[in-house]
Amino acid sequence: MKVQVLFFGATADAVGKREIEIDLAEHTKTAQAFENVIRDFPRLAEHKLLFAVNQEYANGDELLQNGDELAVFTAVSGG
Amino acid sequence: MDFFEITTEPIEVGANARRVVPASCGAIVTLDGFVRRFTKERETLYLEYEGYEPMALKEMEKLIAQAREQFEIESVGIVHRLGKLEIGETSVVISVAAPHRRAAFEACEWLIKELKRTVPIWKKEVYADGETWIEGEKNQ
Repeated sequence: MKVQVLFFGATADAVGKREIEIDLAEHTKTAQAFENVIRDFPRLAEHKLLFAVNQEYANGDELLQNGDELAVFTAVSGG
Repeated sequence: MDFFEITTEPIEVGANARRVVPASCGAIVTLDGFVRRFTKERETLYLEYEGYEPMALKEMEKLIAQAREQFEIESVGIVHRLGKLEIGETSVVISVAAPHRRAAFEACEWLIKELKRTVPIWKKEVYADGETWIEGEKNQ
């Protein structure tokens, strides 16, 4: 299955892209997907990261489905 | 009437406050957050804000719901601006209307604190000699 991964701000700079698509086995959990992304883009590990799935903060246990939207970003700094 | 929005246009702070006020209220507290020129010794030329807009809106909506559970308030309006902001321009405005001022002050303080922790928006500070994405509140 395929899922989309979005990057913002510092993580977009670290990856050099704002969006990628990754291939995952069926029944993959979010924690595994984020681990794969960090393995593929090791510069991400220089940051303290937050993760989201389908526009909600992820706890790592969510089972992914084809077409899900993941996001990897740093601690937020709005305001 | 609650509202939560993201815009790339300049924010009118006074208009934001007036949109939230019901007849049952005796006070509005409005936070006008704007671009600071100096962070410690370093001079900022301008800021660039970026957001994960659909998630940011969902998180703002959740914050308003949580604030309503905790504080005696009538309504909340939050607008956050994205894009390039010059020194002194408003980046965020939060208005809280309440029957009595104390709850409005407390809710407004709680809302900005939580917004800075949970709403996926980031600022990049641009200086004369470089630029930095701010990650969390550690530099403030």
